[in-house]
Amino acid sequence: MNDSMSIPHLIMNASLVVQLVMLLLLAASIASWVVIFQRSFALARARKAQKAFDERFWSGIDLNELYQDVPEQHEAQGAEHVFRAGFREFNRLVPKTRSSEAVLDGVQRSQRVALSREEDRLNANLTLLATVASASPYIGLFGTVWGIMGSFQSLSMAQQATLSTVAPWIAEALVATAMGLFAAIPAVIFYNRLSAIASRLLGDYEDFAEEFHSILHRNLQGRGSNQAA
Amino acid sequence: MAKRTRRVGYGLPVVLAVGVHVVALLLTMLRLPDSEVTPTSSSVVQATLVSDVTATDQAQYAEASRARNAQQQAEDQAQQQAAEAAEAEARAEAQEQARDAQAAQAREEAERRQQVAAEAAERAAAAEAEQREEAEAERQRQAEAEREEAEAERQRQAEAERKRQEEEAERQRQAEAERKRQEEEAERQRQAEAERKRQEEEAERQREAEAERKRQEEEAERQRQAEARQEQAAAEAAAAASRDALNDSIASEQERIANAQQSSQASNNFINLVKRAVEDRWHLPSNAANGLVAQVRVRLGPSGELLAASITSSSGNPSFDRSATQAVEAAAPFRELQQLDAGLQRRFRDFNLRFTPGDIQ
Repeated sequence: MNDSMSIPHLIMNASLVVQLVMLLLLAASIASWVVIFQRSFALARARKAQKAFDERFWSGIDLNELYQDVPEQHEAQGAEHVFRAGFREFNRLVPKTRSSEAVLDGVQRSQRVALSREEDRLNANLTLLATVASASPYIGLFGTVWGIMGSFQSLSMAQQATLSTVAPWIAEALVATAMGLFAAIPAVIFYNRLSAIASRLLGDYEDFAEEFHSILHRNLQGRGSNQAA
Repeated sequence: MAKRTRRVGYGLPVVLAVGVHVVALLLTMLRLPDSEVTPTSSSVVQATLVSDVTATDQAQYAEASRARNAQQQAEDQAQQQAAEAAEAEARAEAQEQARDAQAAQAREEAERRQQVAAEAAERAAAAEAEQREEAEAERQRQAEAEREEAEAERQRQAEAERKRQEEEAERQRQAEAERKRQEEEAERQRQAEAERKRQEEEAERQREAEAERKRQEEEAERQRQAEARQEQAAAEAAAAASRDALNDSIASEQERIANAQQSSQASNNFINLVKRAVEDRWHLPSNAANGLVAQVRVRLGPSGELLAASITSSSGNPSFDRSATQAVEAAAPFRELQQLDAGLQRRFRDFNLRFTPGDIQ
């Protein structure tokens, strides 16, 4: 392989459409990698936070204490967010109504909102990965087809059809497909991995929400029986 | 808890993503020279067409070259013969001229000879006339002398002295006459001799003329022969011309072969096919070292069937050699041979394959 067939040289000599396709694919690849890193860090941190919160929650600490430990201005994430939303709603509703069902309904609603927000946050930008993973091979293929069209047009003008007249065109056209695959393959792999982590975290949050709901329910039943007594 | 979870920013991921792409680009740029340095050859058998010229091919080439030589020779001969014919013609002309000149000379000579003969005859006639005159004079003198003798007889007694003197004179005269006669005799003899000589010369000339005639005949014969040779040469030239057509076809065939060699596509295709087929069926023995090289001579039939596969240069490892020949035997027949040109077919009826174990263990 000589210097004229090196990949940077091929990219520089490609036609404008192919170059635009390559640029688009490069941007998509960079964006997908940004998302991959950002999501990986975010999900790793969320998992760590989830584990820490789990430990604290089940360490037998008082719920009021736990709630007040967290500063109000700090925006909680994950299971903590679900806990805080539910507990705040519980604290607000308990003095106002005597019906435990109304309190539990309110708590459940607020928890559902918090869970939905957490789900959004966990899955944020993963759609970009999915889009890159599914679209970039087609975009690269478009660049390749366009480049091969150009090669055949140049071939029709050449008097002698040798491999050396077609080879550079096809090579630079194939660079587009290569770049598309280069963007798509990590995007597919990390989309699957990150969405699996996110869905597992979301399952954890939902489990926590149910458990917290059952704790509140137990408290309300206990209070109701105390009041009745 | 002192340490709270914070939102993950985008700064670090962007830097990392750009870093990943730069690294990928660097890898593509850095690995290319490396791959250049170590060309990975997937082919196990590095089969090379070592020599494709066979005995039959050589014979064919020899035949072709012979035909070409024959053509050239025929041309040369024709030219030579033409030159010879021209020369012969020139010679014949020259001979004709020479003959004419000779004839003229002969004529002149004959004339000269006739003149000489006439002169001699004249001379002889003159001599005879002289003789006759002399004889007449003698007779008259004798008669006179007789008359004088008679007179002297009559006057003898008186003139004995005179008689004796006269007799003396007579004797002297007789002696003189005798001498003259002898001289005449000698003269005649000389003339006869001259005549003989002339006759001899004549005979000689006749002989010469005959020889000349013979020579001319021979020349005519030679000319006829030259003509015959010319005709033969013409016939040969015609034959050479007919051979030319054959040679042309051979030459065009060879040209086609040469063209095929130049492009060498077909041959490469075939040799690649053979190589692949042999590679597929080659089971390298386990004890084969890496540096072994065996050369197998493969001879094929006209339809590509294997006639013989023999080791021409052994690797020193018998099992390796056997595996090579077995691979060729298993890969045969090579039916693709039939699709080649006739010339290429002949070339690939006999070729050598070099077996070297690649980088496989």
